[in-house]
Amino acid sequence: MENRTMIQEGHLLAVFNSPHRVMKAEDVLKGLDLQVLLIPAPRDLSTDCGLALRFSDEDNDNIMLALVREKLLPAFVCRRVKGGRYEIVWNNDDNIH
Amino acid sequence: MDTIDCRNMACPAPVISVKKALENLGEIRVLLDDGAPRENVARFAGNRGFTVLEEQSDNGWALTITAGTGANIKSTPASNSGDVVFLITSDRLGDGPDELGRLLMKNFIHSLLDAGDLPSRMIFINSGVKLTTEGSDLLEALGKLAGTGVEIKSCGLCLDYFGIKDKLLSGSTTNMLTTVETLLSNERVIRL
Repeated sequence: MENRTMIQEGHLLAVFNSPHRVMKAEDVLKGLDLQVLLIPAPRDLSTDCGLALRFSDEDNDNIMLALVREKLLPAFVCRRVKGGRYEIVWNNDDNIH
Repeated sequence: MDTIDCRNMACPAPVISVKKALENLGEIRVLLDDGAPRENVARFAGNRGFTVLEEQSDNGWALTITAGTGANIKSTPASNSGDVVFLITSDRLGDGPDELGRLLMKNFIHSLLDAGDLPSRMIFINSGVKLTTEGSDLLEALGKLAGTGVEIKSCGLCLDYFGIKDKLLSGSTTNMLTTVETLLSNERVIRL
């Protein structure tokens, strides 16, 4: 099953709480040629809409800057780590924008 | 050995002509255009146990098709009767706004990867073929599904209609005769 998952160790996930916001964020980031993939959020990270944008470390800064600029910040960003777990690396509740 | 000329025929006419010829003659040499006609005929004959020898000629390809052990022109492509086949008829899932439909289709196919049981085959027709071609967000997921043994098939006629035949990046092409046979030979077909 592991080789079937779309999320590998090291991948970052921006998890959103609204389908409209995640779709708009996907459009904006792809328009900037940033590599993101809209996927279902894993069950253990489930939110209301259950959608996330997957991306890599190398695009992290540009993606977060674009999301701040467009006022499209996600609910939180997490990273997949060993053992199939996720670590929160950024949380909207902890930030004032 | 008789030769039949199937060049300049539109899909699925070459496969149907070859099927009829093999029913009557047992073995044939068939002239075909390169691309989907050649691939479809070779796959059709191969799936039924025939030996296919392909030779390139000036104006396309010549396939020599002879009966191997267990060849049976009436048999359907290999698949278990209990298998599930997904017939994906659009690049969107459900009725409603296009944007939402495209999102739901992406979500559905990505979620499929986490499901325990997988379909044996996914057939993409009409605008569904946009999901298997260049620019699709589902190529990675479809590649993973193919890696587990799911057959990914796209309608050659549909690819041709949309002008994206050379953009197919996941699975291979199929024709309507094979699609019909697949749908009739499987107990469960799920249409999306």
